[in-house]
Amino acid sequence: MTEIDDAARFERVARFLSTRRKGLIAAMNLKPERADRHGVVIRMPHNPDFCVDEEGTLLHGGILTALLDTSFGMVNFLAIEDVQTMATLDLRVEYLRPAQSRADVMVFAECYRQTRHIAFCSGKVWFDGASGEEVARGAASFALTRGESGPRSMLGAEAAAL
Amino acid sequence: MNAADLQTRCARVPFFRFLDFSVTEMTNDCVVASMPFAERHIGNPVLDTYHGGIISSFMEAAASLCLFDDWEQKRLKPINLSVDFLRPSLPGKTLNARAVISRRGRRTASIEAIAWQEDVAKPVAAGRFHFLLV
Repeated sequence: MTEIDDAARFERVARFLSTRRKGLIAAMNLKPERADRHGVVIRMPHNPDFCVDEEGTLLHGGILTALLDTSFGMVNFLAIEDVQTMATLDLRVEYLRPAQSRADVMVFAECYRQTRHIAFCSGKVWFDGASGEEVARGAASFALTRGESGPRSMLGAEAAAL
Repeated sequence: MNAADLQTRCARVPFFRFLDFSVTEMTNDCVVASMPFAERHIGNPVLDTYHGGIISSFMEAAASLCLFDDWEQKRLKPINLSVDFLRPSLPGKTLNARAVISRRGRRTASIEAIAWQEDVAKPVAAGRFHFLLV
């Protein structure tokens, strides 16, 4: 198992996000903030399309769930060697306060335990600046299929992920 | 209120327009909705399957619509959710959701929802959603 350094971790996340041309992750316009052995921090710029009000001040909870789910996938790519497929078993989210702000949304995610077959992730969401109070917290479990040892292909894992 | 009225109200919600679903059935305790596949819903760009967050969001939207009278008058507040992903979604196929009220109390409501594509007996996901009504 080859340990990668933090610069390589950040580079992987940045490349993953910047090469997305379609799908929800592209629509969310995600920017990497931090990636290290403790987890990842990703920024989602404010987007009125994700709000429940026409004024664009209150985000729908669903987009925070989607952001948590996405960040769990990212942190699994970084934390787990030789993953061939990764299927989300379940996803749990708590909405701790109204997501009312025009600030960018920040998410932190970590993979706090991995076994041969299962990865356990958790994360939290807050708005950039201001108080930094948590807006949402989430957790998920993933079923993993591990392949042959050797260089792990992010695209391969992506292709096989459900 | 009927499904068409509910649809008109949904059109005022930017995120519901992003999801772009139609309400197909509505009773006192149940809402069924249908969401055609769209490129922006994709999670895996190689397989073109739905993003798990889109599936959850759609189910949450359907769940909230079961409580449409609260949704209208007060801002319905989501408390938490738990979604199990049961099978991979099929690319290019419409996703359907059915949400049913399990319990509606004075302060909170519990809603169960499933999402499926071609066969309702083979759900893609199943979830529980709690809302604060006060």
